[in-house]
Parts: sequence; structure tokens; C-alpha cells
Amino acid sequence: MLILLLIDWQKFRPENWFGGQILERTPAGLSLVYLFGIVVVVALLVLSFVRNRRTKFSFEQSLPKEVRRKLNSTATNRSLRIWQGVFILLAFFVYGFHVYWAVLAERDNQRFQELSSRDLRYRRSTSSQLRGWMFDRSGKLDKALAYYKKAPDGTIDRAFSLDREMSQLLGTEIGSPGLERTLYKHVADPMPEAWEVLTKIKKPEDEQKDVRITIDRDLQAFAGAEIKKGGFKRGAIVVLNPQTGDVLALYSEPTFSLSEVNNNDDMHRLEMNKMDKPLLSRALREFYVPGSTFKTFTTISAFRANKQDAILPDLASCYVPFPNSRPICDAGGSCEICSPSVPIREAYKVSSNQYFAELANLLGRERMSETAGRVGITAVETPGEALTQGYFPDIWNVSNKRIAGAISPIRSTIVTGSKLSLYDTGLEGMGQGLAGQMTPFQMALIASIPANLQGNLMKPKIEFDQPPQIYSNVLTPQQAAAIREIMATVTEESGGTGGVVRSKLAGTGIGTGGKTGTAEKMSPVYNADGTLKTVTKKRKVNGEWVEYQTPVMIKRTDGWFICIAPIDNPQIAIAVVVEDIGRRFGGGTAAPIAANLILKARELGLLGDKYKPATATPTVSKKKGR
Amino acid sequence: MKNRASSHLLLLLLIIIFAAIAHYAIYYGGLIRGYETSTLTAVRNLGLLAVLAVLPLFLTRFGKFQGNWTLYTTAVLMFSIGLTVQYRLFSDDEYISKEHKLEARQQKIATQQMHYIQENYPADKKQMMGLPATPPSPVDLSKEKPRPSKVGLTDILTSEFTLIPLFAIFCMTATIFLMKREDVLRFLQRNGFFVVLLTLGPLVLAAVTSHQGKSIGNMTPWEPSKIPFLVGFAAVLSGLYKNLSQTYWGIPRAKDILPMVFMAAMPFIPFFLLKDFGQMMVFSGVYITLYLVAVRRLPQRVVFVGSVATIAVTLMLAAMPASVQIKVPLLSLVAQPIKTYLLPRRIPQRFHLWFDALNPPPPDAVWWKGDLVDFYWKQYKADLIERKPEAKPLYDEMAKVQTESAKLPKGDVQKKPLDKRVSELSTEIKKIADQDISDMYALTKGDSLPAGDETPTQDEDVINARQEDDKTVRETKEKLKDLNEEAWFGDDALQASRATFGVSSGGKTGRGLGLGYVELIPVADSDYVYAAIGEEFGLFGGLLVILALIILVSAGIRTALDARNMFSKLCAVGLTAFIGFQALVNIGGITRALPMTGITLPFVSHGGFSLLTSFVMLGMLMALSHRNAIDHRNDQATVTG
Repeated sequence: MLILLLIDWQKFRPENWFGGQILERTPAGLSLVYLFGIVVVVALLVLSFVRNRRTKFSFEQSLPKEVRRKLNSTATNRSLRIWQGVFILLAFFVYGFHVYWAVLAERDNQRFQELSSRDLRYRRSTSSQLRGWMFDRSGKLDKALAYYKKAPDGTIDRAFSLDREMSQLLGTEIGSPGLERTLYKHVADPMPEAWEVLTKIKKPEDEQKDVRITIDRDLQAFAGAEIKKGGFKRGAIVVLNPQTGDVLALYSEPTFSLSEVNNNDDMHRLEMNKMDKPLLSRALREFYVPGSTFKTFTTISAFRANKQDAILPDLASCYVPFPNSRPICDAGGSCEICSPSVPIREAYKVSSNQYFAELANLLGRERMSETAGRVGITAVETPGEALTQGYFPDIWNVSNKRIAGAISPIRSTIVTGSKLSLYDTGLEGMGQGLAGQMTPFQMALIASIPANLQGNLMKPKIEFDQPPQIYSNVLTPQQAAAIREIMATVTEESGGTGGVVRSKLAGTGIGTGGKTGTAEKMSPVYNADGTLKTVTKKRKVNGEWVEYQTPVMIKRTDGWFICIAPIDNPQIAIAVVVEDIGRRFGGGTAAPIAANLILKARELGLLGDKYKPATATPTVSKKKGR
Repeated sequence: MKNRASSHLLLLLLIIIFAAIAHYAIYYGGLIRGYETSTLTAVRNLGLLAVLAVLPLFLTRFGKFQGNWTLYTTAVLMFSIGLTVQYRLFSDDEYISKEHKLEARQQKIATQQMHYIQENYPADKKQMMGLPATPPSPVDLSKEKPRPSKVGLTDILTSEFTLIPLFAIFCMTATIFLMKREDVLRFLQRNGFFVVLLTLGPLVLAAVTSHQGKSIGNMTPWEPSKIPFLVGFAAVLSGLYKNLSQTYWGIPRAKDILPMVFMAAMPFIPFFLLKDFGQMMVFSGVYITLYLVAVRRLPQRVVFVGSVATIAVTLMLAAMPASVQIKVPLLSLVAQPIKTYLLPRRIPQRFHLWFDALNPPPPDAVWWKGDLVDFYWKQYKADLIERKPEAKPLYDEMAKVQTESAKLPKGDVQKKPLDKRVSELSTEIKKIADQDISDMYALTKGDSLPAGDETPTQDEDVINARQEDDKTVRETKEKLKDLNEEAWFGDDALQASRATFGVSSGGKTGRGLGLGYVELIPVADSDYVYAAIGEEFGLFGGLLVILALIILVSAGIRTALDARNMFSKLCAVGLTAFIGFQALVNIGGITRALPMTGITLPFVSHGGFSLLTSFVMLGMLMALSHRNAIDHRNDQATVTG
């Protein structure tokens, strides 16, 4: 009796039969035992079959083996034996195909590999293991962006704290993948075989699957409200850290809520909404005419060519690129302040079109195209190529190509072909004409170049733990500082177009720099029911006139503001674009939004401790108590 | 291992023990996924095996049975594997339930997720989720509350899963007792012709009343008719085989061959009516075997094999797509009319599934378009309405009528016109969908634009319009391709692809009992049972099934070898070939070595009449084996006496 008490009965529980730790080991081990048992039974059956040979007559037993065999081999029996052999061959032939599917197909059959996504098993076994959680840059549990919660009916559901503001970044489970479906490491083999369960997998995986991304939850939430608050229907906001490339906020209005996409029909409805395009991240994948903000690019080009102090001849009157060309003028005629030989500084401050048009032609299209390559813009030969350059995943600093693919921007382009006239290149220098294919993301990157203390373009990154990477060196530190100084004129000096920022930030001690922009873009018109408004036109096909529909286009004005802060050691670079601002300018529409973002960033401590308000941030402590 | 009942009793006990282990593994696997498998069912299964284990004692004591026990034990082994796989499948609600499939799936996923959370999540994370804040700890299954099994004792006692095997075992025993009598055998041999005729009557009736290859619910009552057909053919052939050897250039005389051809053609009539091509394949295989065994001359065999091969190749060619047919001279002349007039629509589909299941056929393939259209209008309502707005009122009306119809009680008089209206509407929508698919396909098949349109132009609107056209063609192409693939894998190739993925995911040793996803394979308990074996037991398990089959067939052939007269020999080899070929056709269909046909794996698959037939066949083989042993003993006695 005592001995029985001494035995540790826990050891005999079924969980521990095959080494414990993993529940699956028990059935896997038992299955192998079962298979082994069948092997034994089959072996014994073979034995019983072989031993059970019977001679026909007892006198045969004394005869030699050869004779005995011949006695038994009638024609019929021979056929039977042949048939038996054929059958066994056939059985192994059929089994050979099993070998193919079980072992070789996964390796050799390419089509089979392609189709593996159609196998529901993979989805089933991964869904039972749960994804990691997604945290914002603070990494705090209460700032989780994506997590799990238990629904009242007992199911475990994925939940998102910013399901509207982050939806385009996170992506849905149905459409093309976003961060949700790419950020997490693939489980090496979610479907191990029984023997692997027993031998290879040692213990429940304790690998930290949670990820931390560079987005700041509060700033992103703030950005998500700003565009609407400013009274605009469409727009985009990009906030970067120019020193590291961290993407702090990335938002595009209109958006959708992840909770409203549950099935294919929901997805279809969103896809069909051509007017609002809620699935489209305008920040990453919509072309805008950059307008005057692009003068920053021209300025960078000038510094790279060391032509920042060049004296431009034509400033007294409007700039005429070549004889009989249309002149390029400023709003009030010629640029008086720039004349006769004024530094780039003043021209940038008042946003002189004619100065930058002439500067662009002084630099020439080779230099413009070279700079474009440096800053991540694709320079193309002809206007036809400008819209079809595809995606630009390589700009991202990521640990995994799939992540870059999921959030890749489209390639912003500028046409620098030899067939362009001087008028065309002049327009490009001021951000109009054939430079009109810029994404807000690209403009944020351009702003981040002078903001970087070394004059580098940092690759943007979304994973917090990814070490910073340089995309290219664009400027020397001195040049960067000089451009920062020029950018500061816009917001800090009286007469600058972005003065609203200074008044909003009064008293905080934060110096900023920026550039406003106002651009016109042709855009389609929509009917009240959301369908494209079209007119019927005719064209000749095979000598016959065929009617076709073409959309009605009207001019729309977009407001831009790119900005860096704080100016002495920039910690954020912002690009804001809002669509359809009517008869206003970028300085009065996009700039206030940027100023609010800077204030919020200051409150969140993103500008460094120096600029942090003295009182502790109330939002954080409140949430902790929850 | 001598051929003693006692030593085989040991083997049978081993089988029971290992089956019990397997059942426990399934039980445990069920607990991991949050449901309890029925203990009663497990006991029932082991009970059935116990009955089979005790049966040899009974047969030796009361039947003085002296035949070969290997036959019996191997069949029991296969049966036990089948019981195990079926226990696995039928205890899973996701597999059996029709209405609560999704719930059962969700519940399983939720259970595993909770396990994961318990094992991996720290306390603060759990707290955030609204769970008790406990540190990560291993899961203790004994403290969980799995969903209990709903199977009760009366369910078990009245279940077909209990009664049919018991009845099959009873029939097998009866067959042994009946067939081991010499007079019965002699009667069958003499009256083979009548046996066949008597079978044909009810069989044709069943075939005519059948619906989609099934009758009386989901049964195939013609399954047992294989036995009398075989007996009849063997009887005729054993009477004629000597005359058949008088040949002219390998062809026997007409008066000898005609009765045989008549007998051979008999079973094909009902099975052709039933469109049961798997059985026809098996029958052909068996009859070819019997003929080859019975005739003695080499030229005779060569002529026969040659003509069979020609017919087979012609039929195969007829089932191939036209593009392949034209490549073969002469034969295609015969094959094309066969395809048009003789082969049912389903055959090209089966062939496509056989050769190229991973690639959907072109949308205009005759046998595929109907299914594609159905899938399109049922699953892609929004897309269809977008492309063909005239479908919208039809859909709306259909939804309205359907809700109205659903409100009425079953059997209401008013229901009929409503249902009729629904079917009318669906035909209308189908027409629109059909037209749309044709349009899409026509658009994507040709070049993107008519050649004459490429005149260079400066007009921006024209350039835009052209680009728009190009884009439309590209998008339509993409869309049609996606739709076609979606429909293919969601409809025609659903079973085949899921089975292939199952076999593939099993790998070498399988995922382990209760750890795979066999519930995803349709009809995994009967037609696709080998796929379930492949998934949870892997290549290794498959090999064991194949080996068991080979042992069974070899033991059957041994019976034929030892038989003293032609009739017994042909009967034995015929029965063996039936079991063997049926198994190969079934396994080959799943591993895609042969086209898939809806026949079962003998002894392993769950089935009513098919299981019964298999056991009766086993009984006949055992009886023949017993006769051999008696003959042998008589010989011994004569010689020694």
C-alpha cells in the first residue's frame, strides 16, 4: 500500500505518455503505436500465409522439389500466378501516385505549390495559433493597435483600436494584404507530421510573436480626425521622422472601418465605390500635382549642382523660356523682390514661379533627373510612361519583402525626356506640368531630406526594431542646414506663405520650416448616385464612327503643405494634402493641419524632451488606469 | 503461425487491442479540439471486432471449418482500419452536421485558440482580453469542459453502423455454411444462366428507379448483384472452357463464344443505365481475368488482350478533348462518334479531373460551362448585377418569392406555384449569366483590339478611350480567369482537390489520429476513405492498406490455385479480382492514377450494401477454401487408405 502511495501518479497521465509538454504528442504517439501494431499484424499475416502452404498429396513430400513444382503447374494455375503478379504490380503502381502526392508534389509540382493557398488546412492550423499583437511605437500593452478579445459568444476575435484610421495600412483579410497579413513571421511548419510532433517540436513555442510598429497611436488617431475637422472630404497626411525614417502617422481620407468588411460582398461594395475609393491609400497610391511644394525639390537640385547662388537674368519681367513661348509669371506679374539678383531664399519664401522655372532650366533636365533618382522619384522619358511605373516597394526599410509589397507606394514620376521643351521643364521646376505625379508620401520624403542633419534620405520604416537605413546621400550637412534655413523663411519670417504655423505655435518655442503649395488638377466628376459622369463622343474604328463614353473632367484645386519641425534638430517631417479647397491656398488649408500635428507631436513628446510641455500628458495616465 | 484458429485468434486480439489504442487517440485528439467523442461508439466498434474475433471459434466448433484463416483475418484487419477512420470522422460534428457545420468549426478553432492563449499569453494580456489573469501555464485537459457527445445507447443500438455490419457478419456466416455444401456449388454451376436472369429483373427495376446513381435514399442496392453475375459467368465459362480452346487464328467458334459474350454483356446493361462506370471498370477487369485464366492457348490470349486494348484505347480517346483526338489517326474516326453518341457528359469531366485536375478547363468546354454558369449566378450575384443590370429585378423577385415560400408550411398548396416561379426565375438568371460568360470569353479570346483601329492619332480622347478599352479587356480577362478557377475548385474539382491536399498534407507518417483535417474532405467515410487514411496515417498507413490488400488477394489466389474444378477456381479468382480491382480503382481514383469513380474501398469504406457484398464475397472465398481443405483431406485419406 505504501509503495502505491509513493508512486507519482501524475507521471502516468496520458499527457505525459510521450514526453508531455505538447498535448498533440499523445494522439500523435498513439497513432504511431497503432501503425506499428498494424505492421506487426501484417507481418504475422504474411508469416501465416507463407507457412500455410499445403502440398496436394502426401506422397509428393518425398519427391524432389523440381518435380513437385511441375506437378502443380497446370496452364490455369500458371495464369493465376501471372495474374497475381500483375495485380501486385498494379497495386504498387497505384501506390506510387500516393508517394508522388505525399512527398514529391510539394517539391516538384509548381502548379500544386501555387494552389496551396486553396488548401483550407493551412488556414485552419494557423488560425488556431493566433497572430501576435501589434503595438504602436510605445510598445505598451494598453496602446495595442491590433489585439485579441473574447466575444460574448466565446469566440476569440481580432480587434483593432484604430479600425478606421489604420484600415488602409492594416489591410483586410479578404482583399490584397496589408500589414496584418504580412507583418507576422510565418509559422515554419504549421502542419507537422506525427513523428515530427514527437521528435522535433520540443515545447510550446515561446517565441515573441508580437510586433511593434513605428506608428504613434495617438498621433495617428489625431491625424485621422484633422482632415475632416478642417472641412475637407479628401486628403492625406504623412508624418515621418527624418532622422530615422520612422513613419509616425500615415492617414488618408476617406477611409473605411475594418469592422465593416466581413465578407466578399462588403469588399465588393467598397471596391465599387469609385467616387470615394475608400480602399485606396491616397498617401501612398494617389498622384497629386505637387505645386509649389515641389520647389523644395528644385532647391535641392540647385544645391546639389552648386547653383544656389546663380544669378538669373530674366527676372525683371515674366520668364520666357524660348522665343514665342508662353511666358511664366508670378501671380502679380514679375517677381519684383527677386530682381535683379536675389538669392533663392527670397524666391522660396514668396514662392516665385518664374524664379524656379528659370532655375530648373538653368539646371537642365539631366541634373533634375539625377536628383530625382536620388530622392526616390522615377525619371521617365515620355509622358506616356509617367503613369505606368508601378509600385516602389524598395523604398521601404523592412525585414521582409512581403511587408514592403503590402504598403508599397506607387512610383512618383517626373518626365525628363529630351523631347521636352524648355517651357515644359520650366513648369516642372515649379511643380506643375509633367512633374504632376507625386504621392504625398514622396513629398514627405523630399521634406525629410533637408530635415536630416546629414542630408541623407532615410528609408522609411514601419517596424520599430528595424535599424535605420540610408536610401541615398542627397546633400552635405551644410547644404541641408542651408535649405532648412530657407524653409524656415516660409513659416518664421513675415511675408512667408506659411505664417499661420508660426502663429499657431506661438509660445512653444518650436521653430519650423515648410513650404506651401496650391495646385490644380483635372479630375473626373461624379453624379449624385456615385457613378462617373460621362459624355458621349465619337471616334473612327475601322473607318466607321463608333460612339464611346468619356468622363467629364473639371479642374480641382488641392492645398499642400510640407513641413519640418523643430528646425534646429527636426524630429518630424510632414506632408499634408487636402483636395478641392476651392479658391483658397495651401497656406490657409493644409498648413493649419500641419501646425496642429506639430502641437500634438509636441504633447506626445515626439519632438524630444526639450519641447515637451511641462505638465505630464494626461491622456497616457488616464488610459493606464483603465 | 500455423493455420489454426487459435493462432489467428491471437492476431484478432492484437487487432482489437490496437484498434482500442487508436480509438483512445481519437478521443484524446477530440479533447484537444474541444469535443468529446462518443465512448459508446468506441465500445460498439470494439464489440463488432470482438464478434469477429469470436467467430472463428464458432466456425471451427460448429462448422468444422478448415479453410484458410488468412483471408478472414486480413479482411478483419482492413475492417478495423475502416472502423477507426469512421470513428474519427463521425465523431466530428463539423463532418456530420449539416446545419451546424460552421458552429462546430468555430468552436474547434476557439478551443485551440484558448489553449494557445493559456499556454503563451502573460497575465496582463489575458486581463486585457477579459480573461482571468493567470500566468502562462500548460493546458490541463481534465479540467476542461469539452462539448459532450450526444450519442445515446439507443442511438447506438439502432444505428445502421451497428446493424449493417452485424447483418453483414451474419450473411457471411450463412454464406460459409451454405457454400461449403457440395450440392449448392453443383447447383450453382449447372444453373448459372438462371441465376443471372433472376438477378437481372430486380436490378433493372432498381436501375430505372434510381436517381443519380443512388436509390432508396443514399443506397446502392445493386451492389450484391455482382455475386450472382460472377457466379453465372463462372458457371458458363467452366462449361465452355474446353471448347473455347478450339480456335481459328486465336478466335473460338461462335457457338462457344456467343453464350459467354451474352453472359459477359449482361451486367453492363444495368450498370450502364446507372452510369456506374467504376463498377463497369471492375466488371471488365474481372471478366477479362476470368477469360484469360480459363483459356489455354497463347494466340487466343494475344488476340483477346489485343482487342481489349484496342477497345480501351478507343474509349479513352473518345473521352479526351478534341485537340488530343485529332492527333491520333484512324482511331479518332471511331472515337469521335463514340464521344458524341455513347459517352455521357460526365466522362470528359472525369478525364479532365484525372489528367489535369489542378488546371481549370476553358470556360467554353461543353461539360463545364453549365456548372460554371451555375456557380457564377449563385455565388457572384453582385458581379453579375454589375455587368448585367437586367439581372437585378430577377434576383430581387426571386428573393421575395423565396421568403414567401419559406413562410408557408411544408406541403402547402400555395407553395407549388411559388417554387415554380423560383425555378423559372433561376432559369432566366442562368440565361443572363450564360450570356455574360460567353461575352467575357469572346472578349478575352481574340486580340485586345481590332487591327484596323491602330491608326496613329493625336486626339487625346481617342487615346484615352483606347487605353480604357485595353484596360477593360485586361480586367475582364483577369476576372474571368479568377471566376473560372474559383468555380472549378469550388465545384467540380472540390472533392478531388481537397482529397489531394489531404493526401499531400499527410506526408510520410501522417498527421496523427485526430490531428489532421479529414473533415474537410467530402465523403471521406466512403469514397474518399483512402484520402483520410493518407492524411492521418500518411504514406506508411497507405502502404499497410496496400499490403493488406495484397495479402488478401494472394490468399484468394491461393484458394483458386488449390481448387479442384474449374468452376471453383473461376469463382475464387473472380471474387478475389472483384475485391482487388475494386480497391485499386478506388485508391487509384484518389491518388489520381485512374479516373475517379464513385465506388468504395472493400471492408474499409463505410457502406450499406457494399459492406454486405464484401463480407458475403469473403464468406464465399472462405467456403471455397474450406472445400479445398476437405478435398485435400479426402485425397490424403484415399492415398493413405
